Amino acid sequence: MKASRRDVLIGGASVAAGGYFSIGARAQNVPASRTLNVVKSTDLRVFDPVWTTANITADHGAMIYDTLFGLDENYQAKGQMVGRWDVSEDKKTYTFELRDGLGWHDGSPVTAADCVASIRRWGEVDAGGQLVMSRAQDISKKDDKTFEVKLKEPFGALIDVLAKLSTPCLFVMREKDAKRPGTEQVSDNIGSGPFIFNKALAKPGVSFTYDRNPNYVPRNEPPSGMAGGKAVKVDRIVWQYIADSQTGMAALQAGEIDYLERLPMDLLPVLEADPNIKVDILDKGGDDAYIRVNFLHKPFNNVKARQALLYLVDQEGFMRAAFADPRYYKPVKSLFGNNNPISNDESTGWYKPGGDLEKARQLFKDSGYAGEPVVILQPTNSPWQDNASQYLASILRKAGVNAQLAPSDWGGVVTRRANKQPIAEGGWSMFISLDSDYSHGEPLTTSFLLANGEKAWYGWPQDDQYEALRSKYADAASLDERKALARQMQARWWDFVGAVNIGTRQSPVAYRKNISGFIHIPEVIPMWNVKKG
Amino acid sequence: MLNYLIRRLMSTALVMLLVGLFVFLLLRMSPGDPAAIIAGDTATPEVIAGIRSKLGLNDPLVVQFMRWGWNIVNLELGNSIFSEQPVLTLLGQRLQPTISLSALTLILSISTGVIYGVLAARRPEGLVDKSLTLFSALGFSIPVFVAGYFLVYWFAIGLKWFPVQGYTPIEQDPVRWITQLILPTITLSLSYIALIARITKSSMLEVMSDDYIRTAVAKGVPERTILFTHALKNAGVPVLTVIGLGIAYLISGVVITETVYNIPGIGRLIVDAINNRDYPIIEGVLMLCSGAYVLINLLIDLSYSLIDPRIRY
Repeated sequence: MKASRRDVLIGGASVAAGGYFSIGARAQNVPASRTLNVVKSTDLRVFDPVWTTANITADHGAMIYDTLFGLDENYQAKGQMVGRWDVSEDKKTYTFELRDGLGWHDGSPVTAADCVASIRRWGEVDAGGQLVMSRAQDISKKDDKTFEVKLKEPFGALIDVLAKLSTPCLFVMREKDAKRPGTEQVSDNIGSGPFIFNKALAKPGVSFTYDRNPNYVPRNEPPSGMAGGKAVKVDRIVWQYIADSQTGMAALQAGEIDYLERLPMDLLPVLEADPNIKVDILDKGGDDAYIRVNFLHKPFNNVKARQALLYLVDQEGFMRAAFADPRYYKPVKSLFGNNNPISNDESTGWYKPGGDLEKARQLFKDSGYAGEPVVILQPTNSPWQDNASQYLASILRKAGVNAQLAPSDWGGVVTRRANKQPIAEGGWSMFISLDSDYSHGEPLTTSFLLANGEKAWYGWPQDDQYEALRSKYADAASLDERKALARQMQARWWDFVGAVNIGTRQSPVAYRKNISGFIHIPEVIPMWNVKKG
Repeated sequence: MLNYLIRRLMSTALVMLLVGLFVFLLLRMSPGDPAAIIAGDTATPEVIAGIRSKLGLNDPLVVQFMRWGWNIVNLELGNSIFSEQPVLTLLGQRLQPTISLSALTLILSISTGVIYGVLAARRPEGLVDKSLTLFSALGFSIPVFVAGYFLVYWFAIGLKWFPVQGYTPIEQDPVRWITQLILPTITLSLSYIALIARITKSSMLEVMSDDYIRTAVAKGVPERTILFTHALKNAGVPVLTVIGLGIAYLISGVVITETVYNIPGIGRLIVDAINNRDYPIIEGVLMLCSGAYVLINLLIDLSYSLIDPRIRY
């Protein structure tokens, strides 16, 4: 049989089309009025919220998984999957009972064994989880609904750590998933949370679809942060990925999407002037930006050079260069951010609007700095970090430092910053990044706040005195005790200068005015309680 | 002809082997660690090291290359490091949008560009010729993303004639498919029309001074027949060559156009994969694009003999 040109063309088109539809893209229509089209800040690439610390995956986790405890809007831990819990008189045994009505999306009930396996897996990779595991003598189930955590010694912060919002959060998975090592991805996406991941409509790099879990039983309390009732008020949420923020903005204006997370800041006035669109801040605390320095090599292996940096920094200048709009940034002097219960003003005398160039020059001189190259890792595909890095280079040069920018994309930065070798062997001196303001109020679980040398986060700061105080913090039973310890830790940190703050920024989101009910918390953006119309 | 075809196919295989080797080594030598990107910004080095080990990224380069090469021989491109989905599945999902956009762009560019070039050559220094000079200057100098944003602002947000972004498969809704592709097609075609029109015009001008054209005019052959039947056929070889070379130009334009209009095609796939250092996807897409480029140029070389009988292989 001879194939005609038309046959070949039709065949080719069919193959192309068949590929596109092989995942069953056509299915399960839901009315537009009950569907929320959201565009997240980035693409969802990893599905396992324990495997990665990426916030986008934590958002995905909050959709489909549930947590044992949840922090409310005031950062107080409240039971979520846990219905009742108590602690023994010697404060060494915690007993947790799951509430009624919890079930996996595959139809099986949630059991205590699932919770135990989930804590163990999370304990392999998360700093808070590792702390729990180091303090625990045993974690075991008592019956299908009850499990126990037996401690070697009292650990006052246990419930707070189990409820923490910073990534990776403790999302509870099925025992068979949670038995996988923490370094292997769980991608079945079967949770017990308020939304069900729609596998048939998943299009990686394009969109993911979540359907309301009809069997989810929310708590009776009103929603507050990650605590309270997770009542879902739409039938479907479609997470679209729009790589270009300007295109996302145009789509929002045209009504093609309902919610947009990453806004082009230079075009914000256009959105603010649109009568159909509301610009909002979901995380009032924002993010604390900082300069991380390499403690292992010259010049920042010398405390005087690090102190010079503290005086050199003009936070206003950094924020203006990086984020442009002064309505969305402000200075941050406390090590523990601006909005946390342990934020304080201890030893913040170094702060001076505009910086103190002369003092910085003198401190660099005192440190014995002799013109060694200072390499700044510059991620050119992240506009704010790109600008802030250039600004940093310019003020260092004013102070007489031989600052050299090392441009690459963010992927190049995360690889190079792991290099502990000297600059001549591909090492580095400084980079700029940020964490949520909330996470800077969590000295036990935030890697930025560790100063235990080789085990610390990039830059590998080391200070034994600070670490001793941090250890005491874990045992503090009351908030007053923690506040007092936090002041001491902060005094020590600004003395040895573990890192340098450059300001706090808030990230506005925008949505159509017929959308309401967003929950305002840091780190995670929950989608329960959001309604359309 | 058959010998020529066999020789070209054999050289194509060699080219693909070299492309594969080059792509593999270039990716491994460029900075960036997928494990660090997967683990996220605040992950500890121990967690990143664990993920690297699980992904086999600590294996010697030769072992990794042999593993990848064996997969290619078996027509397997491996799985995405991030989503763990087969690369072939991901490519299948992204082919239709890119083929649609590219095909519409080629149709619009060739039909418009060739006619525009012929008409400009008809009266050198005339109105059409001058307008072509202006159009080609604009077409070459306006970047794709500027043209894209302008068209979105004007026709999608302002006049609301077309959607801003997205892609609907043709089987699902043909009307929406075409309306979503009109602006991207125009955006991508602007420079391509300018290129084809300029080449067509200069080729036509050369041919129009030949004796047989003068003879045809003297015989009273209608101008349309002279232009489109006699002259264009002889001026066609350079135009075909430019269309073939322009495929590479088109591929790079597709990447930007798909980003501006949020079209989930191969261009978007490769950009995201590069940012994430998702090696199997990058390798798969580059092999596909290289293969397509080589084969399209082979087809164009073969088609020369169809429009010019003097060319024999």
